[in-house]
Amino acid sequence: MGGENHEGEIRLNHGDDESGISRVGITSMPLYSKADPFFSSADWDPVVNGGGGGGFSSSHYPSMGMDNPGMSCFPHYQTGSSSGYHDMPASLLPFGDCGGSGHFLGSDKKGESVGRLVRAGDGHQVSDDVVLGGASPARKRRQPEAESQWNKKAVEEYQEDPQSQKKQKNDQSKEKMNKESSQSEEAPKENYIHMRARRGQATNSHSLAERVRREKISERMRLLQELVPGCNKITGKAVMLDEIINYVQSLQQQVEFLSMKLSTVNPELNIDIDRILAKDLLQSRDRNTPTLGLNPFTGFQGTVPNISTSTNPQYNSLPQTTLESELQNLYQMGFVSNPSNMSSFSPNTGN
Amino acid sequence: MERQIITKRKRVSSLKEKKNLKAVFARRYASHLVPALKKINMNKCSSQINSKSFEQTVKHEVDMALALSAQEFAWSRFLQHNLLSSPHEDPSYSSMILERSSHKQDGKEEGAEIKKKLKELQKLLPGGEEMNMEDMLSEVGSYIVCLELQMIVLKSLVQDNIS
Repeated sequence: MGGENHEGEIRLNHGDDESGISRVGITSMPLYSKADPFFSSADWDPVVNGGGGGGFSSSHYPSMGMDNPGMSCFPHYQTGSSSGYHDMPASLLPFGDCGGSGHFLGSDKKGESVGRLVRAGDGHQVSDDVVLGGASPARKRRQPEAESQWNKKAVEEYQEDPQSQKKQKNDQSKEKMNKESSQSEEAPKENYIHMRARRGQATNSHSLAERVRREKISERMRLLQELVPGCNKITGKAVMLDEIINYVQSLQQQVEFLSMKLSTVNPELNIDIDRILAKDLLQSRDRNTPTLGLNPFTGFQGTVPNISTSTNPQYNSLPQTTLESELQNLYQMGFVSNPSNMSSFSPNTGN
Repeated sequence: MERQIITKRKRVSSLKEKKNLKAVFARRYASHLVPALKKINMNKCSSQINSKSFEQTVKHEVDMALALSAQEFAWSRFLQHNLLSSPHEDPSYSSMILERSSHKQDGKEEGAEIKKKLKELQKLLPGGEEMNMEDMLSEVGSYIVCLELQMIVLKSLVQDNIS
């Protein structure tokens, strides 16, 4: 492992490419020109910077407030090799163990590196999440989160540091780093849903995924709100859900009732479909719209683009926004097969 | 007039699009249901089915027409599958009494309450229990629209024939 010594770059030597966590340490790296074979660039490239070589041209972290001249621990790194981690933790103490843990995780199996760190840093809480996020093979996904946790921890640790005012800077830079890290991760991991940790929100992978999910659900519920009559004023998921459930149940019951009636009906069933359709049935959803003059339905061909029906001049007052949103609903529901039709609307020039 | 229609159409085409989609569905639905009903009625005359099972058959056809007219949606496939596998079971919606917690809970409890309600909604939707929450909510949207259209068609069927 100690093979790669790149000048001007401090790298974390680790057998496995655990550069995810160590990436965080990069921020302080540029400060120290003394190359330390901590991070192998090879490991960095695919994982962290999506190809950024030593990665320390890490434009990602310029804003990282960790440019602490007071990070005197780093020079100590130079003497370290992968095996030399044992001495490291001691020198890491001023830096904050989490930083150390972040750095050294990749070098070893996570258990061992944790062990080292624990030994080294008594009283420093090494976040297991950080460790796990660091050393697991799925670190690509968890890196931003692990890093942010590491950052959080580093922030906490900083309080012990005389530079306590760095904390605020670190907070901001932590958030920025979250964004940046997730940005840098985007290239390599395109198959993931990218969610940026917002300021003040938990950033471990679970809560991020949970938040994505919840937002999707809220979005769907908003769509439903427009479908169910009388729900526009309702705020609150529970009440909204109640309304939806009520409505669906009532619809189902009505259908059942009607079908019962249908069974008693005189089985003539000479249904004039056109007549049904023309009977403004389609406007049942838009209670606020004037009657559609859809009577001559002869032109109706059942396909979306070919509609030539007479229109009601009262359309001028039509609230387009609700309609469009409803159409969007239908589109999202898969009703609309020809989205291109919707894009060619031009303003009505005249009646 | 045509020009007027066309220019009008551009402006209100969003409305029209939606209407037409609904019209498509309604048309499909009616075209499925009516022949089926005719066939049932013919059978009824010939084989003296009692009214209860006739009702069930009609209901079956009603649901089937719904399922067939909305093939784009997952719930319709589930519905179809249910109908085919248990042809004469009456999915009596009215008998589905869902328990509701009438008391409002705030804060942490709200998540659990919402989850409960989501589960209830899942039960209402055919095949809902086999979907995840996000999909289920989208499916509910289309299900609601189709139910409404179905009702409209049924209403007009009933009314046209009674009067």
